[in-house]
Amino acid sequence: MSLLEARRLAIAYGGAPAVWDASLELGEGELVAVIGPNGAGKSTLVNTIAGLQRARSGELRFSGVDLTAVPAHRVCHHGIALVPEGRRLFARMSVEENLEIGCYRSEARRARGQTLERVYHLFPILRERRRQLAGSLSGGQQQMVAIGRALMARPRLLLLDEPSLGLAPTVVDQMFGIIRTIHAEGVAILLVEQNVARALELASRAYVLEEGHVVAEGASAVLRQDSRIQEAYLGLRGA
Amino acid sequence: MSGHARRVAASLAVAALGLGALAGVGLPAFYESFLYLIFSWIALATSWAILSGYAGYFSFGHGAFFGAGMYTTATLAAVFGVPFLWTLLAAGAVAAALAAGVGAVIFRVKRLRGELFGLLTLAITFVLATIVLNTPIDGGPGVYLSGVPMPRLLASPTGTLYLLGLVLAVATVAAAHTIAHSRLGRGLYAIHDDEDVAEVEGVPTLRYKLVAFTVSAGIAGVAGGIHAMYVSYVTVGETFAITVPLYVVLMSVLGGARHWLGPAVGAVVIASSLYAFTGGQHAVLGRAVVALALILVILFLPEGVVPTVLRHWRSRARRSETAVAVRDPAAAVSAPSLVPADPLVCHDVWKAFGGIQALRGVSLSVAPGEILGLVGPNGSGKTTLINVISGHYAADRGRVALGSTSLTGRPAHEIAGRGMSRTYQIPRPFGHFTARENVALAATFGAARCSPGEARQEAQGWLEFTGLGSRATAFPHELNLHERKFLELARALAARPRVILLDEVLSGLNPSEITSAIGLIRAIHARGVAILFVEHLIRAVLELSDRVIVLNEGEVIASGSPQEVMRSDQVIEVYLGKPHVVA
Amino acid sequence: MGGLGGARSPPSWLVPSATLLGQSVVSGLLAGGLYGLLALGLSLSWGLLRLVNLTHFALALLGAYLTYQLGHVLHVSPWLAAAAIVPAFFVLGVGLHAVFAYFRVAEFASLLVTFGLAVILESVIQWFWTADYRRYETAYSTASLRLGPLFVPTLELLACLTAAALAFATWAWLRWSYVGKALRASAEDPAIAAAFGVNHRAQAFLLSGVSAAYAGIAGVYIALIATLAPSQIWAWLGVVFAVVIIGGLANPIGALLAGFLIGVSESLTMALVTPAWAPLVSFSILIVILVLRPGRV
Repeated sequence: MSLLEARRLAIAYGGAPAVWDASLELGEGELVAVIGPNGAGKSTLVNTIAGLQRARSGELRFSGVDLTAVPAHRVCHHGIALVPEGRRLFARMSVEENLEIGCYRSEARRARGQTLERVYHLFPILRERRRQLAGSLSGGQQQMVAIGRALMARPRLLLLDEPSLGLAPTVVDQMFGIIRTIHAEGVAILLVEQNVARALELASRAYVLEEGHVVAEGASAVLRQDSRIQEAYLGLRGA
Repeated sequence: MSGHARRVAASLAVAALGLGALAGVGLPAFYESFLYLIFSWIALATSWAILSGYAGYFSFGHGAFFGAGMYTTATLAAVFGVPFLWTLLAAGAVAAALAAGVGAVIFRVKRLRGELFGLLTLAITFVLATIVLNTPIDGGPGVYLSGVPMPRLLASPTGTLYLLGLVLAVATVAAAHTIAHSRLGRGLYAIHDDEDVAEVEGVPTLRYKLVAFTVSAGIAGVAGGIHAMYVSYVTVGETFAITVPLYVVLMSVLGGARHWLGPAVGAVVIASSLYAFTGGQHAVLGRAVVALALILVILFLPEGVVPTVLRHWRSRARRSETAVAVRDPAAAVSAPSLVPADPLVCHDVWKAFGGIQALRGVSLSVAPGEILGLVGPNGSGKTTLINVISGHYAADRGRVALGSTSLTGRPAHEIAGRGMSRTYQIPRPFGHFTARENVALAATFGAARCSPGEARQEAQGWLEFTGLGSRATAFPHELNLHERKFLELARALAARPRVILLDEVLSGLNPSEITSAIGLIRAIHARGVAILFVEHLIRAVLELSDRVIVLNEGEVIASGSPQEVMRSDQVIEVYLGKPHVVA
Repeated sequence: MGGLGGARSPPSWLVPSATLLGQSVVSGLLAGGLYGLLALGLSLSWGLLRLVNLTHFALALLGAYLTYQLGHVLHVSPWLAAAAIVPAFFVLGVGLHAVFAYFRVAEFASLLVTFGLAVILESVIQWFWTADYRRYETAYSTASLRLGPLFVPTLELLACLTAAALAFATWAWLRWSYVGKALRASAEDPAIAAAFGVNHRAQAFLLSGVSAAYAGIAGVYIALIATLAPSQIWAWLGVVFAVVIIGGLANPIGALLAGFLIGVSESLTMALVTPAWAPLVSFSILIVILVLRPGRV
């Protein structure tokens, strides 16, 4: 049985259909990417899995549990953690306080000390800046806090929404290295990325989302050669 | 005015004349007194609504202006012996001046809207009360007007007051009606729904708010002056009590704060039932009932009685609506005023927010009649650039000009007046306006500067042009996303702009809607309007643009013909990442 | 007030005595403490719940009248009264919020609805206790400490100390406890906080209860210190809102300090100029802060 299963999801955003008929699945410990141009509905999809939004129709199961029936603040209790697009840190709270919110749910809170150590080990610079206000950090550091916050929840599935957005190329390299490390520890990851090359490098499988529905899916190696992606992003035919 | 409204206004005029005649005949003092109070509340509630109902700036300070008027009359008449009727002019003037002063400061600060404005105005009332109480204006014991001679307009003092009250009430309702149907009124209603968009559409928001506030306060001042004579003993406690602010809010909200007649209806209903309770403990109970009514109305009937009733009538009338004469937009467009001759130029524009540099020295130009595509990844600064050009934000550095007219640093409504229009990525129509009224507003305040009658026809024409002709009387919440986007386009066009800024107009549309939108943009282009076109849908940009500019992290990284730009290595890297370049 | 007597004496502000100044500062600090106490609950609910709660003042006054009633008629000591009032008000606060939540009242409408509720409460108070001024005389009403030439009324000092203690306790709670952190996170970004398990609804109830309890405590002190009249609700309104905004929303220490600032400036104005201008002080500081300080309130 897959860890995450979405079937024929339809989600509205701002009164308009953002996603119609999206289906995907993800197995335990897998790293799957969702790529596609802006406005394709990728974030809407991920936010729905995380519980921030409700799907209008379709099925969404996590480890067999029907997520559409779970209230927003209980979704994380099932083992899903979100690294939102644009980080969305609590800017007026310190780095450490942001991380602590990550393990707000009681099971994760018990292992707080241990998990915090692990996060600081992964991101040493955060240990240095633990008391600094999250809003005053650089983009790359903020991304680290966002990922760390999600890791504090000890999730089984990590949702990463555009982690490379607005970051300098060297920082992006660093970020993806860390994502690889996290994956190696056995966490399943659903990665949404605008940066196609990086996403396909990292993920074993990918879904291509365009204008609200899945237009292509398959192994990364295969997709990389697919001309449909060039079309989707650059509008070029046979480039 | 529709035939129905004409009949209502006529019957009101007849009623007013009838009431006036009654004064001449002479009623028992009790009734004159009772009716005077009703008239006074009609004037107070209606004047309050001119700013607070129409523009949505809920003021809790109406008592301050009423009190200012009362004390002006009391002081001038009792202390300085000025004839009573002259003091009324002074009362109005003092109150109006107070409002103008307060407004000039408060309305400039963008953040002081909503509840902050309400609290500030409430605080002003208490400050004024304290000043009056502690200075020789009152000093504590109050001011007696019993020695002031009442002008002999009619046989009895109560009769005179009755007449004065009637005149004020009629004048106020007439003023409210006039304002509601004027450009000022349209502008105020637009401010209510979305002040920032109203400003961008060309409404001079600061000026209109000041005018509305001043008129509203002036009327309250005059009402206060008359009331001083009525009570003949003025004290701070009674004058500046919470009664006036509370009751005017309730009366207007109950009757319908947006409608010119709403507050008057609410005033009649509330005041009549209130004066059924007289004095002592009953007054206390009366206030509690009024407060309870306010809560219930806010929770269950937020629009108010009059608009709810009207909506029933209107939905029946809609089916029998006669067609509106349409001005052919093609004819309008070839009129000389729309032929653009000036390029839009941005030179070295910088803009930062907090610590983030959104725009770094962006320079571009849009030639007359050109379509310039603006593309770039998320967060590259495209929307910020549009906001700077349209005047929503001021650039930190750099210039924006339309031909020889500099637009840098001008308020957005002036920029709109010079021929700039924009659409919003997530449509922001005025929720309480029908589709046609939305478009008409732009025609009235934009570069076109139409009169209200012309604006309506112009609006219908542009709605036809965008395919929304049949939806002219629908409200935005009844339209789907595609229709709302096209409404934005129609609204942007109705201002007869020289340059249109389109912000992701295609996002959220399905393929067939996109095709029709592209066709529409082509049609607009064919009319000679220059277009700056922000889009993520690359194929649309390629199809439509004459030139393309690529923005990344606030900087222009490429500029040229669509084909060459989208094939450039740098651009491909920005969108897809390095490996694709090699492939 | 003021003056050294005699038609030709210089105005008092030209010749202020150190004692007069000192006493003004002390009175100002003490008054400021009470402002801070009133501002605490309001600052919390406005900052963390996005609800503008005018009922807060009415609740405080209700607490004051209840203290008076329990003390004056039933001879219950104010401290015992407080022990009863505070939990009762907590429940009242939770109940009020249930109504808000049920009707999904938004930020601006909350101003109007709480305005209405405040008036209803004022009427209820006037119904039971009439509009006559009432004074709760206790054994310690006139007691005061002496600090050199200065008088420090004991009850007001106690109120001030309570305000400081509560402000610090609240600050500590918000800063260090998990619930406090969750409240702050939820106030900034409720959706993301929920994604990590923070239940905004439950928190809102808790916060409303706490806020109302604070109003109750303030009420107890108001009964001990001030003269009571139903219209008092509106007398405090302008000043306390100024304190809340100047201190910063959801900033307990800020509210306390802003209270001191306003209290002392009002008091000095009263001593050096004339009492008439004192309310103008808080109002002007408020406008200056609003106009000059960027960011949300």
